[in-house]
Amino acid sequence: MNLIIRGIFQVQEITLLIWRVARGVFRPPFYMRETIRQMDVLGFGSLTIILLTGFFTGAVLSLNTGNTLQKFGVQNVAGQLVATSLIRELGPVLTCLMLAGRVGSGIAAELGSMLVSEQIDAMRSLGADPIKKLVTPRIVALVTMAPALTVICNMIGTMGGLLAAISFQGQASSVYIASAKEAVTYNEILGGLIKPTVFGFIIAIIGCYKGLSTTGGTVGVGRSTTQSVVVASILIIAVDFLLSKLILSLLL
Amino acid sequence: MTNRFQAIEFKDVSLAFDDRVVLDGVSFKVRYGESKVVMGGSGTGKSTLLRLALGLIKPDSGAILIDGEDITGYTEEQLMEIRQKIGMVFQEGALFDSLSVYDNVAYRLREQKARESEIEPVVMRMLRFVDLEDAADKMPNELSGGMRRRVGIARALVGSPKIILYDEPTAGLDPITARTICELALKLRDLEEVSSIFVTHRLQDIEVLASEYVVRDDYGNLSFEQEGDKLCLVNTKFIMLKDGNIIFSGSDEEMRNSRDPYIRKFLDNER
Repeated sequence: MNLIIRGIFQVQEITLLIWRVARGVFRPPFYMRETIRQMDVLGFGSLTIILLTGFFTGAVLSLNTGNTLQKFGVQNVAGQLVATSLIRELGPVLTCLMLAGRVGSGIAAELGSMLVSEQIDAMRSLGADPIKKLVTPRIVALVTMAPALTVICNMIGTMGGLLAAISFQGQASSVYIASAKEAVTYNEILGGLIKPTVFGFIIAIIGCYKGLSTTGGTVGVGRSTTQSVVVASILIIAVDFLLSKLILSLLL
Repeated sequence: MTNRFQAIEFKDVSLAFDDRVVLDGVSFKVRYGESKVVMGGSGTGKSTLLRLALGLIKPDSGAILIDGEDITGYTEEQLMEIRQKIGMVFQEGALFDSLSVYDNVAYRLREQKARESEIEPVVMRMLRFVDLEDAADKMPNELSGGMRRRVGIARALVGSPKIILYDEPTAGLDPITARTICELALKLRDLEEVSSIFVTHRLQDIEVLASEYVVRDDYGNLSFEQEGDKLCLVNTKFIMLKDGNIIFSGSDEEMRNSRDPYIRKFLDNER
């Protein structure tokens, strides 16, 4: 099968998977317990890397832009610059890229291992629908947890920027905070939440699809894991461009 | 028209993956209470037969009847109903890694939203049947290969399905453990009248399944008897697959007397 046909086939398969999830999401049985467990594992479990990513991104952003702003005599807008960059762009993208690496790969590896060890077939033979039992809870968990983690990333990033501004630029905290507050408008926040919701969905659906289409035993599991990270990361960056254009023209 | 005399019936079933033909017009029947032992080399379509019977994959052509119902065109929701009648024992057990032995066996009942008070006695009865009552709290990675298969059997038996599909349940096991698995299959065949398809390529399994039967005395004690003057086993039949075709169907005596070069080679090599 050549590359184009394989690409079209994969798009078709992913669309079918989305359709099956959408069709079953409002029909019983609902696996609430499993969904909450996934929220804990995928969301809360990623908190540490998101905190570290957010903090250092905000700090380095403040550090790098501080000198340039000083040259133009507008160092008092450092807070606004850091907060806007984080809310609009860096928070959603970096949070979700980290999630794609940590969570998307985990989903693909887990489902892939279950597939090659016939656990998915066993599940079906015992009367459970793997889409409802495995895919839907992961999608719901990531669609809800990715925006929550992004908000945390934005907050911690802004604080990281504050610390860098105080420590290295000698800026007063009140100036930085007042400037940062100006960046936080409802439309900015809304725009900043749309992105991680879409990205969370992308990470979950790609991870599940790659896991459930694993072939070739344990080697195949490794391949699916790598592919899920690569595909999800590329899609996040590409969709980010489209969403940014849409949000800029509609909300900002 | 449905046929109520057959637990499983394959009618001219064909299946190919891309250009590779896996099954080519396969037809056979499994009567109620009968065990059909399916043999053949690797890649001859043995496991595919079971996956088709369970509705996990669909044939390219032909029809598959389970308990008289043609399941060929069934949706996944309809197949869920059919699967309640079938238990499947997977090759390596296919236990859920993240669940304990107890939770693995309880899986089907939990899916049916049974109450915990109803689940516990059923699970413990099944674990007792496979002699693994003490392993209820263990995780699958703490079990030996044979124990995993036995848990797989216990899990397949929940809900008292009248059809059991065994996918090479003795592959890779030592002779004593393999014998234990075969004895469980005999108990289900002779005491519970379960219909089954038993996929294997081990001649030792064939010996046990074709020549032994289980009897329960008045005190409930079980004993394994050899086929002979007292009783002639008619509830176990054999199928040999080669390149997706059935090249033999009949009793073990007929198979042993066959002059087909492939069957001869298969039986002699396995000996």
